[in-house]
Amino acid sequence: MRVLNMYAEVDVEKCTGCRVCEKVCPTLSINVVGEKKEKLAVVDLDTCAGCGACAERCQFEAVVLKTLDEPKVISVDPHSVDEEKIYELCVKASLHPEQIICYCTGTRAEEVAAAILMGASSPEEVSRMTGVRTGCKVECIQPILRLLKAAGIEPKPLKDGWQWYGITPTIWDIPEDVVKKYSARGFYFEEDRALFKKLLDTIKAGGE
Amino acid sequence: MNIRFNKPVKPLPPKPSRYGPDPEHIKTRACDLKNIVSVKVRDLFPDITESIYPSEKGVKAVREATVNALEKVDMNMIKPKDSVNILGSHHGFTILGGEPYAEMLKTIKDVIMDRTGAENIRLRVGVGLRFRESDEYIKRFGLDDYFNKRARGVAPIDEGIPIETEIGTLYGIKRCYDADWIVHAHNSDVREIHFHRHVDRAVKPFGMSYARLETRSTYHQNLGPRGANFVARAIFNSEFVQKKWTFATFLKPTPAGIAGVDADNDLFALDERLSIDNFRYYGKVLTLLSHIEDCIAVLDFQAPIPYVFSAGMIFANFSAASIDIFDLDYPLPGYTWYTEAFYGKNDKPLIPDISPVNPAVKAMVINYAWGGYPSVFWAKMIPTIVVGEWQADVFRRDPQNIEFMRHAVVAEDLEAAIEFAIKIADTDKIIVFDGAPGVINVSESLAEELVEKASEVDMEVEQKLLPKWCRQRGIKLEGYADVPAH
Repeated sequence: MRVLNMYAEVDVEKCTGCRVCEKVCPTLSINVVGEKKEKLAVVDLDTCAGCGACAERCQFEAVVLKTLDEPKVISVDPHSVDEEKIYELCVKASLHPEQIICYCTGTRAEEVAAAILMGASSPEEVSRMTGVRTGCKVECIQPILRLLKAAGIEPKPLKDGWQWYGITPTIWDIPEDVVKKYSARGFYFEEDRALFKKLLDTIKAGGE
Repeated sequence: MNIRFNKPVKPLPPKPSRYGPDPEHIKTRACDLKNIVSVKVRDLFPDITESIYPSEKGVKAVREATVNALEKVDMNMIKPKDSVNILGSHHGFTILGGEPYAEMLKTIKDVIMDRTGAENIRLRVGVGLRFRESDEYIKRFGLDDYFNKRARGVAPIDEGIPIETEIGTLYGIKRCYDADWIVHAHNSDVREIHFHRHVDRAVKPFGMSYARLETRSTYHQNLGPRGANFVARAIFNSEFVQKKWTFATFLKPTPAGIAGVDADNDLFALDERLSIDNFRYYGKVLTLLSHIEDCIAVLDFQAPIPYVFSAGMIFANFSAASIDIFDLDYPLPGYTWYTEAFYGKNDKPLIPDISPVNPAVKAMVINYAWGGYPSVFWAKMIPTIVVGEWQADVFRRDPQNIEFMRHAVVAEDLEAAIEFAIKIADTDKIIVFDGAPGVINVSESLAEELVEKASEVDMEVEQKLLPKWCRQRGIKLEGYADVPAH
């Protein structure tokens, strides 16, 4: 769930149409239109989450965040989807359904799983439905990709986009020789695996 | 121990930033409250190295220390026509106003030019979750001019580059690596122990400041609370990075000030040296703070909630210190993102292994802090009073903290906030996180408690904890018997 209270506004005098805003927008809500000297960034206010990625990376200070007159809420209700299927997807992604995966919005794995079960097939669609990835824009990409992969979806990054490039390893993928080699240097992979396993076992035991 | 309490040392004045309130609003500082005194860190722990900064020499002392440290470093790989990226981080600029770190960066450039004849030397400064923060520092300290318009802040959402590592593909920020050579210019203070657990502390920026969002997400979501910093080692050890690697130069703060500068071509050797110093000095301060039984924490510094300082320790560490967060036998500190992740919908832990947020913190008063870091967790766990609508608006307008003010109340001024905090916390003990150099600003009642406990803590760290912390990380400690790691 994400409360939206801001939106991006482009200063047409400053915008050069350089497209950096397009490359970093997590909901694909800002696009450059027009040709050559007429190029200009335009914001889709229906999908803009007011995350500020465009404003923070525009080298020309051409984007500012403005306050919405009335805040909006975007969310997916996990109860609108088969609970068993949510659990199945989360477990396959090695995530507890109640685990928070976005520290800015407080979004839990179950809400993202529900969005995927309702048809979201890319991080951008997940973000538009749940608001996840529209706070810091950094920390929550991997659990989203893990949940999509668990659903059999392997989205391709956008051509020329910088939103995300790919899925990365988890603790379960670390080769055993690496685990062994570094355990005496303070990397407690085996112990952390046991911790994650304990968390996931609580699902089988019937929840919290 | 016989210590006279000092008049409170004032923190640096508030700085203008897009991430914080207008400094005009910050009229009263926590150190101005009656009954606040300063306890000098070196009065508590006299073995902490004497500082070269602050000192009469000012930042000249940092320049001298940098030049001296670089004398032992091999730069022969850099040829006159080569390009060099000096990689820095925003963190360094938050230490004692940022001037010492800026001076170290300038000196590294000068020494490389003198020794190698290279002129194409650029500065790339990484950030956390406030993507313009480094640009603000570059401007404030004139680094853009100093680097001939070749200084810029880089962010985790900037264009990336894949890096093949021994655990798979991770991603770096392309602009960090767009030179023939890289120099790693960082700071050695403990900072986010709750994240890196002081395992490979010196390597961390390769998995964070210089890394793309995919890598950072791997750190905070995929690898676990004690293995997270391995992404940094994996990237640093990669062929891609090693081909560009030259040396590291680290500003060396202690809880009392800047102790010096260290440099080495061997990053892991440097890491071992700074780890031992950090366990000894920061370890004592954090252990002492973790012995506080109850208090009100007042945040009053130009940084987001977790990064406000007291005696060199950041608030996040204090809030996590319901356990010994250096001790790797404990999986989850009272605060870290894995801990936060494992709280269920009823705000209760999903598994019993979760330590609570430091129960000694009975209330939190925010007189001055920035947004730009997800901080709702603290407001949910600690009764929180925010001073002034201007400070509340910082959170209300912050995409990372939209819900923060749902869990906090606003007081009109600092005095009213403290009055209320004392009522709900049922204690008059106050600790101020204001970054005042070399001291802890506290209420007189808490000062007495700290002084009383310091010598016992000193002994506990020297005899019991320091050897354990080193042993867990495979670090050999002179004068102690060899014991298997774990």
